[in-house]
Amino acid sequence: MTDRSSARIDVRDLSLSYGKVNVLQSLSLPIERGKITVLAGPNGCGKSTLLRAIRRLHKPTSGGIYLEEVDISRLGDKALARQIGLLAQSPSAPEDMTVEELVRLGRYPHQSMLQPWSPDDASALESAMSGTGVSSLRQRRLGSLSGGQLQRVWIAMVLAQQTDVVCLDEPVNHLDMAHQLDCLDLVRQLKNAFGRTVVLVLHDLNLAARYADHLVFLRDGAIAASGSPEELMTEANIARVFDVNAHVITDPVHHRPLCIPLSTARQASA
Amino acid sequence: MNDLPPVAGKYRYPLSLGAIALVFVLLALSAVAFGSSWIAFDQIIGVIFGAGEKTQKVIVLQLRLPRVVMAILAGGGMAVAGFLLQKVTRNSLASPGVLGVIDGAALGVVLFLALLSNESNALVTSIAYQPVAAAIGAFVAIALVFMLSGRQASSAIRLLLFGIAVAAVAKALTVIFMLIGPIYRASQAQRWLAGAVNEVNWGEIQITAIAMLPIMALVLLAARRLPPADLDEVSARAVGLNLPVFRILIFALAAALTALSVAFVGAVGFIGLMAPHLARLLVGRNVYAGIVGSFLLGAIFLVSADMIVRVTFSPLEVPAGTVTAIIGAPYFLFLLMGKQRNDG
Repeated sequence: MTDRSSARIDVRDLSLSYGKVNVLQSLSLPIERGKITVLAGPNGCGKSTLLRAIRRLHKPTSGGIYLEEVDISRLGDKALARQIGLLAQSPSAPEDMTVEELVRLGRYPHQSMLQPWSPDDASALESAMSGTGVSSLRQRRLGSLSGGQLQRVWIAMVLAQQTDVVCLDEPVNHLDMAHQLDCLDLVRQLKNAFGRTVVLVLHDLNLAARYADHLVFLRDGAIAASGSPEELMTEANIARVFDVNAHVITDPVHHRPLCIPLSTARQASA
Repeated sequence: MNDLPPVAGKYRYPLSLGAIALVFVLLALSAVAFGSSWIAFDQIIGVIFGAGEKTQKVIVLQLRLPRVVMAILAGGGMAVAGFLLQKVTRNSLASPGVLGVIDGAALGVVLFLALLSNESNALVTSIAYQPVAAAIGAFVAIALVFMLSGRQASSAIRLLLFGIAVAAVAKALTVIFMLIGPIYRASQAQRWLAGAVNEVNWGEIQITAIAMLPIMALVLLAARRLPPADLDEVSARAVGLNLPVFRILIFALAAALTALSVAFVGAVGFIGLMAPHLARLLVGRNVYAGIVGSFLLGAIFLVSADMIVRVTFSPLEVPAGTVTAIIGAPYFLFLLMGKQRNDG
């Protein structure tokens, strides 16, 4: 486990429920500064809920989330939005909105009545757009973009927010293979070039293993395993968490664990 | 939206906003000029600034100007309410009429007239409370729509369906109270069914204008927070806008504006639907330009509708709301069909 002192975000004993359904059960997780933490697990394990709880979009039943030892429930809406950014799973914006307009919205938490648009905002906007390679699209309407371009624009918006922590909820869900790599390389760049702490929900285990510094397996609203991809990606863990019999080898190119699913290991109880 | 070019022009709105303002001024002057006798523009301006002969003064200041000014305030107010609702529900079909706010306000006023009048056809309280009654009706209507839509209040289609249902019930209750209420109030309540700017006086205009000013100021203050409301709820909250709370604030402002607009004019439909939609097409997505553009276009719609009924049906007083409905209802259907095509 990670040493508490280097944790940027500390999830402490977090329980959360939707109505009567418990989604997360006294879950604790330190999230390391300047690293990519990937949350993975089967459908309904609570990984997206955990991500949204970290961004305070869900109210915990008990426990809390601490950002540099400060309980996030004490922060104001904009103050929190300057610290933690989040890209939703299926974000939507009007089709006639322009790329620049959308990226500008990332500066919303930095603006106030007295300071509507500052040189800081302008430079953050420019570096977010150039960092994601969407500068040339700035006057294009969102409705005219391809799926890959659109995802870059959304990432640019989150980047313009200049939060130290960036949460992304399945950012590669609807992208083809090239755009998936493209998108995740961009996420890695957030960490390497911009020094951001990244929390990522990913479905694809092999992509998770390739991009994660720290991997977390969730199952039934609790942490099933947590550690480096090498530690976690074992045949036993994959069978236990995902109900899949798999063969794990080392990717000969990237030297990361690679999982080859063989069959489902689900008991006939369902 | 598909008919718009993929690349947006940068500084489009000052020009189109200027053009709309010009049309607005010319139309407002024409509305005063037209009537049983023609009064030239320069004479109208003279009268407004205190010159002119006595009969002209009476015609301009007592007969024609009040209905034009009231049409400007009411049309503009409803259009801005529609702009806010369309923005915050992310749906171009939303409007004070469709969401039941207008009929709620109408019910509030008819109840007010029915319950607070005495035998001699006089109100037992000040007429200044009429907008308050309208506001209560409007707030109850929008709160009902909001609560019925439940947790899916952000789902536009549910809001619209419940809005239409609440509007229908409010309208039916309005008719019932007109029928069972004191008969001598029925004719006064009648204009509530269609909406008209005849018979307004300066006192009513004063009440409307004084109450509308602070609400418009609040709208302009809230406008700064409108751009993130264009996003889905999670994304809006992620950039720091508490959308569920903000939505309630905007609904309240829209309800207050609608109530004020219709309090003395009656249930003029479809302006709150058409004007903001047209404003967005003409001036683009800037929120301040959108608010000003919506106000001017809403004013233009109601002033022209009133002019049409005055010129066409004179000496009969046909409510201006009939014209806005005849133009507005097909426009609504047109939008609805376009919507279906996009979804399918």
